[in-house]
Amino acid sequence: MQVTVISPEASMFDGEADAVVAPAFDGQVGILPNHAPFMTLLGEGTLTVRRAETVSRFSVRGGFLQVVENRVRVVTEHVQGETHAP
Amino acid sequence: MAKSRQLKGRIRSVQNTRKITKTMELVATSKLKRAQDRVIAARPYAEALRQVIADLFTPDLADRFPLLRQPAPPAKGGPSRAALILLTSNRGLAGGFNSNLIKEARRRIETLEQQGHTVELFGVGKKGIGFFKYLGRKMALERTDIGDRPKAEHAGEIAEPLIEAFAAGQLASVDLIQARFISALQTPPATIRILPVETPAEGKGVSRNYILAPNAEAILERLLPLYVRNAVYRGMVETAAAEHGARRTAMKNATDNAGDILELLKRTYNRQRQAQITQEIAEIVGGAAALQG
Repeated sequence: MQVTVISPEASMFDGEADAVVAPAFDGQVGILPNHAPFMTLLGEGTLTVRRAETVSRFSVRGGFLQVVENRVRVVTEHVQGETHAP
Repeated sequence: MAKSRQLKGRIRSVQNTRKITKTMELVATSKLKRAQDRVIAARPYAEALRQVIADLFTPDLADRFPLLRQPAPPAKGGPSRAALILLTSNRGLAGGFNSNLIKEARRRIETLEQQGHTVELFGVGKKGIGFFKYLGRKMALERTDIGDRPKAEHAGEIAEPLIEAFAAGQLASVDLIQARFISALQTPPATIRILPVETPAEGKGVSRNYILAPNAEAILERLLPLYVRNAVYRGMVETAAAEHGARRTAMKNATDNAGDILELLKRTYNRQRQAQITQEIAEIVGGAAALQG
């Protein structure tokens, strides 16, 4: 599925991924491919985007996450990102 | 003789000026490039927010959100304070860029005052603040520290108190005076109404069978302030890009004009030099002819 992480200043991530774990306002949310249309507010915490063996982590605060037709959009006001190999 | 030395001095002075304007043009060009990238980078976020708000919004929700509510006009007991954020640059030499923004602000202030509002001016950028201080108008906010690289936090700092005051019913409206960045050559001033949030026309309610957590209302309530903050941020980024575009155009014109003046001066100088040489030769020939008798 297609994942984008967007902040006001820039697009932080744009690409394919196998799984997303996001800090929703009421706890962690995991998104896998073919998720139903979904929208949630985000809280504060670490957003993890995994593709095969590569894991990208971002610390996010506020904003929302939206899933429509295998496209995940994370729109958040504060992002700090770093990409790690496992 | 004295005349030609004077001309030489002027030529040198115009050459120096041209060197400076040329350099400023080049600097503005490279800064414009980066500022333009920032404008483009800010687009997906704004688009995503706008789209989601349009998705979630239904007209019957409008009354429940203070940020969407249109306050009563002051004549009918509504709040009389209206806020105006004026974005200008910290530096001049950008042609009519700042004066256009200031003109737009004065027009807006006049309209608001005719409607019975008292206008509070929030100035960002030295040029606008300087002008209105000179007129003796008090500013509610003076920010000259942001410069041409605005961050989302800056926009938040400016918008946050206004959002709160508006939600509390103390403000009638919030307008933003900014420069639109259409292209480097076209940077017209524009007034954008930030609060109350103009409700998206295509609001048709939750369409896609979303699972919403917690629910549409709570999400809207959190996203509307983000939307307002982002409108300010976009205004700041666009104005910064427009400033460099305007400066580049102004400096390019100045360089071209300096070139024209230089050509004229050089031609005058050379013609004069030639005239002098011709005269000297004539004198020598005349003198030789006199000796031969």
